[in-house]
Amino acid sequence: MPSLPFLLSLLIIAGLLFWPGAGVVARWREARRRAARVRSEDALKHVLKCEVNGQVPTLNSVAGTLHIRDGQAAELLADMEQHGLVTLNEGRLRLRPHGRELALHVVRAHRLWESYLAEQTGVAEAKWHHLAERKEHQLSPEDTIVLAARLGNPLHDPHGDTIPAEGADLPADTGQPLNTAPLDTPVLILHIEDEPEAVYAQIQALGLRPGMKACIFSKEGGCIRFWADGREHVLTPILANNLTYVPLPGTTPGDLFEEEFLSGLHPGERARVLGLSTACRGAERRRLLDLGFVPGTMIEVELVSPAGDPTAYRVRGTVIALRREQARLIHIGNRATLPAEAASK
Amino acid sequence: MATEAQHSPTAPAVADILEAARRLRSGIPGDVHEQLVEAIYADAERIAGRAVSRPERRARPTLDRTLDYFLTSRLWGFPIMLLLFALMFWITIIGANAPSGWISDLLVGQCWPLLREVTVGLGLPWWLRGLLVDGMYLSTAWVVSVMLPPMAIFFPMFTLLEDFGYLPRVAFNLDLAFKKVGAHGKQSMSLMMGFGCNAAGVVATRIIDSPRERLIAIITNNFALCNGRWPTQILIASIFIGSLAPAHWAGLVSAGAVTAVALLGIALTLAVSWALSRTVLRGEVSSFSLELPPYRPPHFWRTLYTSLIDRTVFVLWRAVVFAVPAGAVIWLSANLHVGGMTVAQYLIQYAYPLGLVLGLNGVILLAYVVAIPANEIVIPTILMLTVLVTGSHGIGEGAGVMFELDSTAATGALLQAGGWTLLTAVNLMLFSLLHNPCSTTIYTIYKETGSVKWTVVATLLPLVLGFGVTLAVAMLWRTFG
Repeated sequence: MPSLPFLLSLLIIAGLLFWPGAGVVARWREARRRAARVRSEDALKHVLKCEVNGQVPTLNSVAGTLHIRDGQAAELLADMEQHGLVTLNEGRLRLRPHGRELALHVVRAHRLWESYLAEQTGVAEAKWHHLAERKEHQLSPEDTIVLAARLGNPLHDPHGDTIPAEGADLPADTGQPLNTAPLDTPVLILHIEDEPEAVYAQIQALGLRPGMKACIFSKEGGCIRFWADGREHVLTPILANNLTYVPLPGTTPGDLFEEEFLSGLHPGERARVLGLSTACRGAERRRLLDLGFVPGTMIEVELVSPAGDPTAYRVRGTVIALRREQARLIHIGNRATLPAEAASK
Repeated sequence: MATEAQHSPTAPAVADILEAARRLRSGIPGDVHEQLVEAIYADAERIAGRAVSRPERRARPTLDRTLDYFLTSRLWGFPIMLLLFALMFWITIIGANAPSGWISDLLVGQCWPLLREVTVGLGLPWWLRGLLVDGMYLSTAWVVSVMLPPMAIFFPMFTLLEDFGYLPRVAFNLDLAFKKVGAHGKQSMSLMMGFGCNAAGVVATRIIDSPRERLIAIITNNFALCNGRWPTQILIASIFIGSLAPAHWAGLVSAGAVTAVALLGIALTLAVSWALSRTVLRGEVSSFSLELPPYRPPHFWRTLYTSLIDRTVFVLWRAVVFAVPAGAVIWLSANLHVGGMTVAQYLIQYAYPLGLVLGLNGVILLAYVVAIPANEIVIPTILMLTVLVTGSHGIGEGAGVMFELDSTAATGALLQAGGWTLLTAVNLMLFSLLHNPCSTTIYTIYKETGSVKWTVVATLLPLVLGFGVTLAVAMLWRTFG
């Protein structure tokens, strides 16, 4: 005859395990269901991107993208077919209307969340993609509408990808890999691929952003050298492959090389602000605009720190100190030497 | 001006307008809202340029230029900064002596015996009297008399410099060093505030807007040697280190030793910031923009008033709140007897082996545990505990009663009777720099970060460093000494 404490503990254990909704088993099931949904949505996203860009999605490509075995991928696709998300005809994978709708929503949620992280939070850039990968499965279509409105219905995410409008289709990627860009021709960096993470982190650390103008001047010695934002950048072909460009007609390489930035302004000189580099965005951009670094403003060097950096600039009657990294983001033109009276300190 | 004639007779459908808007918008590069802001500024600039006439381009006042020329010059910038801060600390330490004496005379010399008499008159049992008067009241009196005058001198001076416009120049001068270690240039301002009081220094980190860099500033603020620790440093340096030199050099040598400890604190601030920003608080260096306002004569009385209310009273109140229970604990530990020995004696015995390995002793370790509320009461507690352990008679006011001796020589004699050596003194100075922040600061860190995790890190990191450094010094000393 088992004792009462024994029975009681058995009961408690059983309760912990099997309680509906909160027990270990119920939670495990819920987690599994969620994981299955995440996998199916990720697969839909992959198929959509392939279709839009004229590639053929296959069982292998799905397995590769999701990091699962081929057998698992087959099971997953069969399940998705059953739910009316995709069709599998003669090995050809296609989205059905419902699947397309869902895939578009996930892509939209991902890119909106990345924009949100970039614009309105201080979350490190390296974490954006990872966080958005999780959030895209949690946001409902209503959430994305609210989020988009809060962000001012942005057209592009921070990586330069188009954010599909509510109910609109996903346009095809238009850019070409930077590797293939012609020499000595100005191009516009359109998009920076955020996967794999390690590669993206390296590109990001170099200060490269979508929207920058670049001009490749050498592809010798296994690296790609190009000029962007008043500096020379060097990328290995593997890294450069993750950047895409579109041609920039009407700009000559000379225009690009002659671009000047605030970091190059010397004491005793003045210049006019032409604008902020596209590499500067989010809170940092707004802060510089608030401080008066807007097109048309006259600016001069006021003081240089004893250590050589930062430098204090005179802008609209105030003196603002900026580090060299920030000054490098401000386009200037009309550089001139100050009259002797004002320059004398 | 729109007139009727300009309206198209067939108004386009709403859908067409929306479509046109969409098309136009997709033609705008970058963020529409930022483009709008830029356009508005550009318009404002154009309108102002046409409508506002200025008599002459008003140059900055010559005085401002001259001041900036010296205060941020390659040659003079750093020496002026060092001199100014040395002067500020010197005024604080010298100036606080007399008022500290008065307050202590009033609170400890007159009120304390009076309270004892009153409680005896009320017929309170001896233990309640000891707990309330000798424990709680006395520790509060100590904290107030030792903390209030330096804070009331240091904070207004600091605020005056701030008001004058000098502090942003300091941040400007020092930014490169902080940038190199991955921190924010404004951390130099909270660091300097920390020399007055770490709790106030932690609050001062609010000027740093990036969360990552603000955390770094909060965690490393404890390495700024606060007002409460200067007296310990000065006393121990003059007893043990100054006496090593010939008499006429003694003052200079002990001042040098204290300065070395303070500079070590600054070096550690930079080193720990560097280590943090490369490990747990990794991240990009955030943007930095600092306004250098024009110099202006400070509003003396307003500054005095606000710095007294905002900083001094605020910090003092928190310290008192923590000092009251600590006084009770100190008194109890010295008066609760278990098996013929007081709790304090047991604890000292337990702590003794660890203290020995670290080149300290059990008394010091226990004093640092019970004196968590305020660094100011470390020396009085050490003296009280030393009397308790050595059983010296005729010194002090009785078990569990904190006190200070009138002369440095008498303090030195008592400590030497307690087994102190030069190694103990050096390690105490190091440990005083490198131990957990006081409870006021810990609570402030919690308030400011809102995170238990970072509060624990900020508390234990200096302690671990302190154990490591004192252990290393003790081992080297014993190997080569």
